[in-house]
Amino acid sequence: MSGRIYLGELEELILLMVALIDKEAYGVSITAALEAQTGRVISISAVHAALHRLEEKGFVKSKMGGASMERGGRRKRLFQITAYGRQTLEELRDVRNMIWTQILNT
Amino acid sequence: MATYPQPPKWAETLIERLAPEHLAEEIKGDLYEMFLTDMKRFNERNARRRYAWRVIGFLGKTFFWKGPTYQTQNMTGNYFKMAKRSLLANKGTTTINVLGLVIGIASALAIISIIRFELSFDTFHTDHQNIYRLVRVSGADLSEFRTGVPYAITPAMKDISSIKKMTKLEYLRGASVDVLSADGKFERQFIEEEGVVTVEPEFFDVIDFAGSPIKWISGDPKTSLREPSSLVITRTVAKKYFGDESPIGRTLRFQKVFDFKITGVIEDFPSNTDFPFRMLVSYASMPLLFKDRMSDWVSVNDGHAVYVVLHDGVEVKDVEAQIAKIHAANVGKDLAEYRHYFLQPLREVHFDPKFGTFSRRTITHETILALKLIVLCLLAVGCINYVNLSTAHSTMRSKEIGMRKIMGSTQGNLILQFLAETLIIVLVASFAALGLVAVFMPSLAAMLGLQVSINFSDPFLWITLALIIAIVTISAGLYPALLISRFNPLTAIKNRFAAGRVAGISLRKTLVVFQFTATQVLAVATFIVVAQMDFFRNVDMGFDRNAAVVTIRLLNNDQASLSSFESELRRLPFVENVAKSFTLPSGVDRNRNSRNIGKPEANDVQDFQNYEYSAIDENFLDLYGIRLIAGRNLTPADSSKNILVNEALMKNLGYTNPQDIVGAELKLGGDGLVHVVGVINDYYGNSLKERVDNIALDANADRYRQVSVRLNLAAGQNMTDVLTQLEQTWKSIYPEHVFQFRFLDDNIAMFYEQELKYSRLFQVFSTMFVLIGCLGLYGLITFVANRKGKEIAVRKTLGASVANIIVMFSREYIVLITVSFALAVPIAWYGVNEWLMNFENHIDVQWWLFAAPGAIVLAIALAVVCMKSFNAAIANPVDKLRNE
Repeated sequence: MSGRIYLGELEELILLMVALIDKEAYGVSITAALEAQTGRVISISAVHAALHRLEEKGFVKSKMGGASMERGGRRKRLFQITAYGRQTLEELRDVRNMIWTQILNT
Repeated sequence: MATYPQPPKWAETLIERLAPEHLAEEIKGDLYEMFLTDMKRFNERNARRRYAWRVIGFLGKTFFWKGPTYQTQNMTGNYFKMAKRSLLANKGTTTINVLGLVIGIASALAIISIIRFELSFDTFHTDHQNIYRLVRVSGADLSEFRTGVPYAITPAMKDISSIKKMTKLEYLRGASVDVLSADGKFERQFIEEEGVVTVEPEFFDVIDFAGSPIKWISGDPKTSLREPSSLVITRTVAKKYFGDESPIGRTLRFQKVFDFKITGVIEDFPSNTDFPFRMLVSYASMPLLFKDRMSDWVSVNDGHAVYVVLHDGVEVKDVEAQIAKIHAANVGKDLAEYRHYFLQPLREVHFDPKFGTFSRRTITHETILALKLIVLCLLAVGCINYVNLSTAHSTMRSKEIGMRKIMGSTQGNLILQFLAETLIIVLVASFAALGLVAVFMPSLAAMLGLQVSINFSDPFLWITLALIIAIVTISAGLYPALLISRFNPLTAIKNRFAAGRVAGISLRKTLVVFQFTATQVLAVATFIVVAQMDFFRNVDMGFDRNAAVVTIRLLNNDQASLSSFESELRRLPFVENVAKSFTLPSGVDRNRNSRNIGKPEANDVQDFQNYEYSAIDENFLDLYGIRLIAGRNLTPADSSKNILVNEALMKNLGYTNPQDIVGAELKLGGDGLVHVVGVINDYYGNSLKERVDNIALDANADRYRQVSVRLNLAAGQNMTDVLTQLEQTWKSIYPEHVFQFRFLDDNIAMFYEQELKYSRLFQVFSTMFVLIGCLGLYGLITFVANRKGKEIAVRKTLGASVANIIVMFSREYIVLITVSFALAVPIAWYGVNEWLMNFENHIDVQWWLFAAPGAIVLAIALAVVCMKSFNAAIANPVDKLRNE
């Protein structure tokens, strides 16, 4: 994975949330997790848009999950982080860690 | 549902309407879930407001508006893959479908090419919409249609202002051409039966061949045809006469008398023109050929034709009136009333058999219409096969359809899939048909005497093919596709017989009836055409048409050579009789010359009869078996003032008893009196398509142009030897003349050449119809036999015989074919009557001419049905019943 990784700040956060929630990651749960973890309130449409972009870029994959009563019988689209997504997150973390080590050392 | 809180209706509808299909569910789900959470946290109004805002939020996002990037992207390929599988799974049906369509499409392509060729005649001249041919219609009842125009009339037409351009030409049949060496010595002789013409330089202004590839190789139209005795030949003729030598400046001697110098070479004329010229003599040479006749207003040569180009917007009637005025001013009152000139549009020339063409070919609009109908019907019966077999098979496929629907196929998907199947079949059939046409077109064209070929670089061919593919795919595929895709998935899976009833059994019957109606109409038509041809070939024409007679054309009328030729001929052992005459009793090679004749007191045009006159010798009647009804035969001593008349002329002159006219004096139109010495029976001088003409014969030896030799061949004598000996005799008397002969029967048969060709075409295509129809039947029966396998087995176990089962199968088809026969009879009756009315002499339409083809079609169809049902009937019931 050479070159720049095109991952916006919001996209990175959401990708982290997908990785965090693991099995039950979909629009509503991701929005809730974001609010719980960071205190930021992101509109559901923005979350959907970001997930859509992430899927296009290959960081997450999705499949339709089961229906439930509180959704009026509709199915959810469940997201899962791909290996590439995970690797990307790790790379970003490593870069930041490396920079922080340098900052702390000065 | 009242227990559940509802989000705002309008916002929900908005999402439902606008959200792309693949996103709608998850979005609505998420929104609803959040709405429920909001309901718990806030009041309902607040929750609804937040819901609406979220919906609006989605509308602002780009991904929301984009199409799906996954899921259905490869459906087109999938349609074809599925189609291929299902076609391969039913190989038998597929083969029958393809075969039926191949025959249909190939025939359609062939006929379309022929129609296109016929319609393309002389459409490439710049003025072709405004070119007219001057034609002559004579007789008190306007019943004689000819093209010849007297020589003197055209120069007088120069003053008619509506005529923009005008050109005249004289078509010369049967020219003898001697090739002279550079120093003027005789080298070789050729006979040009067709294609010799005298034209003016203006010919190429009027008939300019602008849209065809014809061009001048040397010389040019303006100068090469200006001088008397100049001659332009086509490339092929140049090659035939001079090989690779340059023909320019060489001299050809025509009819042993006229020397014409070659001043130009032109590319061969295209095959789709009624001006099939090969040797063009300058019109300025006409005075040499016809001398004082050039100023004649009365006598006519049928080869002399006049073409005019009218100014735009000119009324043809006005021009005709002006020509009539000129005509009336220069001939006697009787002729002015008797003979009329009309302008026939060039675009009608090829389609009007009344006047004929130089190419000797015409085709009526009715024939073209019949051909078009045949194309449509051939394609239709091919499509019908397809519709019948696919609807029948749809019952077998109902499970597949039900499954597909349950798995989420929409009706649109299924329609596309079935159309894809049809398209594959039609494509395969089309290309097979194209190959078939390419292979068989040359022999078909040869059979019809047409120069039609399949040209793969012609865009028209591909457009036609594309249209055929589109039309056939839609008309064959759409109905089965709609029908099949409408299946209710549950019934389709649960009960395939319920679906079987939906599959339109009555429609299938209707289509089979249509198919066999078309087939039987054509079969009846073919029978009648063949019967009429047979009638033409065998009917009594008033003379002995089956005698082995060789007719030899003379090129001069030198009496001494002629009598020594006659005595030499009589010395040959196989020669039974020899007669000299001006022309033949009948056949296409006959020359016509006509005059008026009346009683001595006749003055008005009504009192005169138009008749054909010919000269014969004393052996002529005997040789041709023409009977003398009264009076005596002509003898060499008779002058040209003594004549024989036929019964038709006698009756038309008002005599009823042959004895009365013998010895009578008759008045020739402006030419003194003649004396009738005898009456002969009527014979058909023209084809049987026309009436018996008035005929009078004299014994003027100066006009002998033909020698008829009646042969009496000993058993086992070879015709080639006979002809060789005849030719040797000829050469010993006329060393410089080519021996030109024809058999009388061939000559007569050529009258009906065109009808014969089209009757062959009908035979070929009615066979195609029967073939396609039987293919379809075969497919249906195969299918039904498979479906009813168990029923047959049960019936057999219960004691049904093989015959019972065959009857069970064929009963339905006998009924269907009988119904279609009942429909076909009136259609065919109307069609053949129209056709037969074209001929003055025709067969009576008899019942067996309908019954026989009907019975044959029924027999063939039954044979197909029985063959297949017999197989099903003799199968061992155990095999069918064993597995349930």
